[in-house]
Amino acid sequence: MPYIARLEKAGIPTVLLDFEDQLNMVQHTGLQYGFPNVRTVHASRTVPGPEDVEIWTDELLEALTRPLTEEENKGSKVEPSQDRIIFEGTLDEAQTFFQQARVVPVPVDSPISIYTDGLPIIVPTEDKVKEMLTGTSHQPDELITYQRDIKPRPGMMMGVTRDKGDVVRFHPNDWTATVEKVATIAVMAGCKPEHLPVVLAIAESGCRTGTTVMNSQAVCLSGPIVKEIEINTGCGMFGPGSPANAPIGRVYQLMAINLSGSVPGINRMSSLGSPFNNGGTCFAESTAGLPPGWKGLNEEYDFKKDESVVMTMGFEGGLSGRQFSPGGYRALQKSGHGGIARRLDVKGVPGPHNWLEYYTPSLWANREGAVTLIMVAEMAQHLYDYGFKSKEEVYQWLWKQSFMPLKDYRNRSWVDLTTNGWMGIERISGKHWKELDDDYLLPFNGNTPDGNCIIVASSEEEICLNLEGGRGTAYSIDAWR
Amino acid sequence: MAEKEVYKFLNPVGIQVPVETYPLAPRLNSLDGKTIHFSITGEPDITIALEKKLKMDFPNVNWTQKKTYGTNPVQLSDEEMKTTDGVILGVCW
Repeated sequence: MPYIARLEKAGIPTVLLDFEDQLNMVQHTGLQYGFPNVRTVHASRTVPGPEDVEIWTDELLEALTRPLTEEENKGSKVEPSQDRIIFEGTLDEAQTFFQQARVVPVPVDSPISIYTDGLPIIVPTEDKVKEMLTGTSHQPDELITYQRDIKPRPGMMMGVTRDKGDVVRFHPNDWTATVEKVATIAVMAGCKPEHLPVVLAIAESGCRTGTTVMNSQAVCLSGPIVKEIEINTGCGMFGPGSPANAPIGRVYQLMAINLSGSVPGINRMSSLGSPFNNGGTCFAESTAGLPPGWKGLNEEYDFKKDESVVMTMGFEGGLSGRQFSPGGYRALQKSGHGGIARRLDVKGVPGPHNWLEYYTPSLWANREGAVTLIMVAEMAQHLYDYGFKSKEEVYQWLWKQSFMPLKDYRNRSWVDLTTNGWMGIERISGKHWKELDDDYLLPFNGNTPDGNCIIVASSEEEICLNLEGGRGTAYSIDAWR
Repeated sequence: MAEKEVYKFLNPVGIQVPVETYPLAPRLNSLDGKTIHFSITGEPDITIALEKKLKMDFPNVNWTQKKTYGTNPVQLSDEEMKTTDGVILGVCW
């Protein structure tokens, strides 16, 4: 949309070809850039291209020549209300106010809450927000800014560069926020004052939401804060019940709704959505479970062991695991018995065994890119005992396992967007994609091993889950104390 | 009674800057002899067929194009914009 605004401002008539269900987003984003009436022609999601173009090509070209209507030919200024107080009334009236919804047309076609995630919230009275603000030394009217320089890690497919002190703009509307607004939302989510530094660090991420496919958002904590605020890092850490995990996960989504103005069907176009975002997802690393020499998540991001961080993640996928019975896993490691041992050809040989060999073949069966593995401490220790003396060695091993022929890659939906698909230079060979042989081997695990991420959890029953996406960006919690 | 007490509730909505909206660029009298740019970011099933049809059915138009597999269009340079009369942005991603 900024490109269309640039063209129209330069006097170049423009027409957009898009699907009809995207119209809300086009108009909404158009308003953000000063052109809410961009001319749009709708293609079909189902009619074959050669037939489809016969239907609307004339309309497409006419959009460049048909004289402007009165509405299209005028400008105006839109000044949204910026009142500090949004509502005055009783607690019951406020509950009703904050739970109001409006119907979002197709592709949603049902009510969507304006200020909440659909569930009731704690209504943010002045007193409750004031109490929440005791959780930080930052001033209520301070704008949320980056607390240190942000650079994408080498293995990240996409990422942003930001300088310390830059004002955080919340995607997709580029709105901004003060510490007080973040504290207001922390109240709404059910957070406690001691959670506020975490919430402010999450706010520093800009709380992005997806615009396509099935984007999931989650946050992962690392460092002393985990014990300090009693985050659950063990049995059921992704499930309900924790008075720390649940509101902190929720607050990401409430900030996305209120500070970003993110609305399904308007500017949050992830097709069917993701259950990660329904109530929010917060989990954490168990430092005590790390094998000797394995870095904590905080250290992986160049923070110190005693510093607390939150990693915000956005990934196009869900949470999955590889099916094995915990008893079968134990049999493998104790004495080399069972099906896993047979598959790994270590029948009768006591462990430690590299259980990832059982796990990896399906990791890239239907998706490409880095992965986040969340494993219990016992399984991390087995990897250490087997020979992986650092997380980096595991990342490297995973990456090497992922090499497959180019002919397999050609049979997939996604192209490598970081090199402009087949039109760019493949990074490892340095050759044009079209010059490579079908048998050329390339990593399906991303361009470098560094995008992978391991989180060690403290649960007992042997399980390793994987988030179908790699690491995110880490923000200092201590900077917001 | 306590339940009738009136409170003030803080505004959680992000800070928005005022937005100025503009008229669309004037439209063209005709496409004949004009340079129309086709900016392709989208679905090949549509854009390949469209590019072929435009060139075949409208030979009097000087068609230019830029293509990317990504979501962000490859933009015209300031210099290229000086010689471009209109743009079609094919963004069905």
